[in-house]
Amino acid sequence: MELTATGETSRQMALRDPDIRLMLRVREDDPTAFAELVELYQHRLVTVLHHLVGSREEAEDLAQEVFLRVYRGRKKYHPRAKFSTWMFTIANNLALNALRTKQRKPVVPLNIHDSGPLGPRPAEHLVRDRESQPNDRMQQQELVTVIQQALDTLNERQRMALVLNKFEDMNYADIAEVMGLTTKAVKSLLSRARENLRLVLKDYIYMDGEAMPTPPPEMEAAAQERREPKTET
Amino acid sequence: MAIRDEDREELTAYLDGELDEEAARAIEARLNVDPELRAEANALRQAYDLLEYLPRTEASGSFTHRTLERLALSDASTVSQARPAARGGWPWWKSLAWAAVLLLALGIGFGVASLVPWLRFSGSPTGEPPAIEEQMVRYLRLLENRWLYERVPDLEFLQGLDRPDLFGDESPDS
Repeated sequence: MELTATGETSRQMALRDPDIRLMLRVREDDPTAFAELVELYQHRLVTVLHHLVGSREEAEDLAQEVFLRVYRGRKKYHPRAKFSTWMFTIANNLALNALRTKQRKPVVPLNIHDSGPLGPRPAEHLVRDRESQPNDRMQQQELVTVIQQALDTLNERQRMALVLNKFEDMNYADIAEVMGLTTKAVKSLLSRARENLRLVLKDYIYMDGEAMPTPPPEMEAAAQERREPKTET
Repeated sequence: MAIRDEDREELTAYLDGELDEEAARAIEARLNVDPELRAEANALRQAYDLLEYLPRTEASGSFTHRTLERLALSDASTVSQARPAARGGWPWWKSLAWAAVLLLALGIGFGVASLVPWLRFSGSPTGEPPAIEEQMVRYLRLLENRWLYERVPDLEFLQGLDRPDLFGDESPDS
């Protein structure tokens, strides 16, 4: 099927981005293209939305709504940015609307300094036992709960920026595009988000200069990529 | 001395790989001589890395199917708002939606449709080609089972799979 794109820039973008090519097929009413698009993006969308709204069921509803809007807007689609950026812009708008409608309240930060009458709370095991990673399944589940609650303490915009940065590997420019902000504003937003996260999770962080436990190889590779300085063009 | 917001912003951008070479070198020089800044960088990085423990949520297995159905039904609903339902009868768009669902339930695949062309339009009361959304719902089984269909040379092969003399009866009593 011959794809038509408007302008030289759109054509170049279509050549570079296979997802743009797929979306152009959706625009041309290719009957299998939209289903392919849903298959391709469903897990990523649901992951991001789940971390924003807290409910998997609601995340799936919102994800469906994103896809429906993508489909209904297909005739007006002209690629100007990465396809994922455009899609997550729609997701951002829907998620923020949903959150404001629910007026989701942030969770009060946990105070885990005191042990209860039955001895140290499970979370304190995670703090004290520095020699081992939280490999035990129960410990890991408790840690997941604590981290999710920490994420919930952030306001909507901080949470959105952090989730896009972390789970979609979006750079500041792409996050700015998705959220309708300047890159400078995203830099400030992420700085505050990460500082707030650090404060809430301070009991799970080694502050005394001891060597950090070795992260899993895939995390280290991703972190190394982030540390390599980018040259402005 | 408390870390200024501007310094923390530069630090976060450095950790995210967002600084240009010159700015990154400047931060690294400061990190080498400032233990407090270094501790802050470690803490920020650790807190961020803890997010790795959060699970990646997967959409449920029927998500694509439900999305396409929702699209087909919502578009049928839009059409019905412009056209009143037939007096005393089942609205035509409901018949169309149920036809799409029934076709999926019967598992009519692309292999049959391609050899019996008139079946393509059997869901339509007027014999016109079905809307693109209905085609997408119908072709979903093709997409999901594409890896199987690609191995089928022709319809005769498919029909052969159904021959009891070759593949037997799979009922519990056999």
